[in-house]
Amino acid sequence: MLELFSYPPILRGFLVLMASGLSFPIAGVYLLRLNLLPLRFMLMHGALLGGAVALAFQLDPFFTTMLINLILVWFMMQAARGLKADAGNISIFIMVAAIGLAFTFISVFDVQAKDTLSLLWGSIFTISPLQTVGFVAISLFVILFQLLKRNQLKAVFFDSSIAYSSGVNERGIQYFVILLTALIVAVAMKLIGALLIDAVIILPALISSLHTKSMKSMIVWACIWGGIFSFSGFFIAYWLKIPTSSAIALIATLIFLIIFVQKKLKK
Amino acid sequence: MKHFVYICLIQHLTTVEKSLIVTQNNHEIFSSQSKWLYPLFELEDFIKAKQIEANNLFLTDKIAGKAAAYLIVRLGFKNIHIQLISEGAISVFNRFGVQFTYDELVPKIQCKTEDIVNGDEPVDAVWQMLRRRAGRVAGLIVDIRELSVEIDNKLVLSNLKLRIERGEHVFIKGLNGTGKTTLLKAILGLEKISSGSIQIGDYLVGSREWEKNRSIVGYVHQEMVKNTFPISAAEVVGIGFSAQKLSKAEKAHRLEISMRRTGCFHLANRSFHELSGGEKQRLNIARCLCQQARVMLFDEPTSFLDGSAKDELFVLLNEIWANEAPTAIIVSHDDQWIERFKWPVYELNEGKIC
Repeated sequence: MLELFSYPPILRGFLVLMASGLSFPIAGVYLLRLNLLPLRFMLMHGALLGGAVALAFQLDPFFTTMLINLILVWFMMQAARGLKADAGNISIFIMVAAIGLAFTFISVFDVQAKDTLSLLWGSIFTISPLQTVGFVAISLFVILFQLLKRNQLKAVFFDSSIAYSSGVNERGIQYFVILLTALIVAVAMKLIGALLIDAVIILPALISSLHTKSMKSMIVWACIWGGIFSFSGFFIAYWLKIPTSSAIALIATLIFLIIFVQKKLKK
Repeated sequence: MKHFVYICLIQHLTTVEKSLIVTQNNHEIFSSQSKWLYPLFELEDFIKAKQIEANNLFLTDKIAGKAAAYLIVRLGFKNIHIQLISEGAISVFNRFGVQFTYDELVPKIQCKTEDIVNGDEPVDAVWQMLRRRAGRVAGLIVDIRELSVEIDNKLVLSNLKLRIERGEHVFIKGLNGTGKTTLLKAILGLEKISSGSIQIGDYLVGSREWEKNRSIVGYVHQEMVKNTFPISAAEVVGIGFSAQKLSKAEKAHRLEISMRRTGCFHLANRSFHELSGGEKQRLNIARCLCQQARVMLFDEPTSFLDGSAKDELFVLLNEIWANEAPTAIIVSHDDQWIERFKWPVYELNEGKIC
């Protein structure tokens, strides 16, 4: 099986999968805590818009999608703050607006809808060397951010007014966390595809929240589960000849069910 | 010549008069050359650190008025000698059964505290007042001047004036919707001030300097934290220093001390969400201690506590005021609980202090 890694695209795919599996669940913890689950749908529709724009103007789809998603997130935060509204609700509005704009671009510039939709189905084996470096850099950045800001993050996630009174720049931290999470979701979309993004980001965080008692252990366990899912998912996919993303999702679901049953039996 | 200077210096040092001496079995164990009431405060620290009983010691003080007498009584001395004593001090010593001798009696000593202290107050009340005057409290002055706060075009606080001295603790009560929580949030800097100002120590709330130092104010809010995200008791207390740059050892030390002080060290690894209301409130206070807050704001701290938890909170808060002595503002409408403290109570009505 190890001869697989003599093929550079497969080796790159494995490296990227492991790096993101070990670090992106941190963003999953942020998403769960800040209740930003609808953000994923907005970003998926933002990816469609980005794809349509990139194909219409012959730009790089990866970077165009990232840029458009960051603009949408920035707009969401400004609107949520200005209107004192829930960011999740605003993201639903932006999601609808993004898909409307995407189809407008597809129609006006005669873009093949099939090409745009293909952007939602990422593949770890089509990642370029430059993108590999980018993925690994983002993974390291997420880990570093979590390590350096762990105390402030704990405070903000516990209670924003208590964080503020402790001297934490809670608004700045919250903004940065949302932007970082958006960036990671956009990156993961390219990695395993938007439709199975939850397997790498959300499920490890969700599973670790079921069996941990502190924020530190939740973050550590989310990363451990992410690493286990990515590693085993990669080889099981090869063995069963199924997509890697499906294998990751199935393993995560199996672990989730085991923990769920174990908890039920304990009660 | 150099040798001569050394001899003069040594002679000078040895002849500087000691203002207070404490002996145990005729052996000097403590002395001080400080002025005013400071030797007695230094002695208090010494007794605390050595964990010794003062009733077996003999104290010799240079001058004692009513204020010094109160401090000597509180320290627990039973046998003393005073060189210059006031009549007021004698009545305090007599009231509390202290055996004393003196060299010279005067009607009163030349000190402002001789007029401030009546001689019939509770010992702890005088001790706390004197600590504040001596600057031996952690608390800061909270000075609210002509404060107005508008929320959604409605005037919630109107030209409110309130000054709370260093280490002083007060209750604010009032009906629902009178702006009690808004006042606390304005002090924290969480609510925008329409006009007027709030000064905490040297900092004007909302200023750039304040932003850098706002952890001087600790906050225990009304609502229970609703989210059930995993967080341990120790992590909640550690939030207190989350914005401070400290070494790992200092963090561990502060965490342990503040949790032990509030009797919740044994809960450190428990999930915060599994704890009772009383235990959570202890952790909140430990968090403020960990933060080294010099002003503490409490918003309805008993709202989710049962009878025994309220009793425990009463004891704990009294311990903290007696030691760290932060300035404290407690918003509450639990009249029975408020009465137990015997602190000043201000009533908020239509956005003003009555």
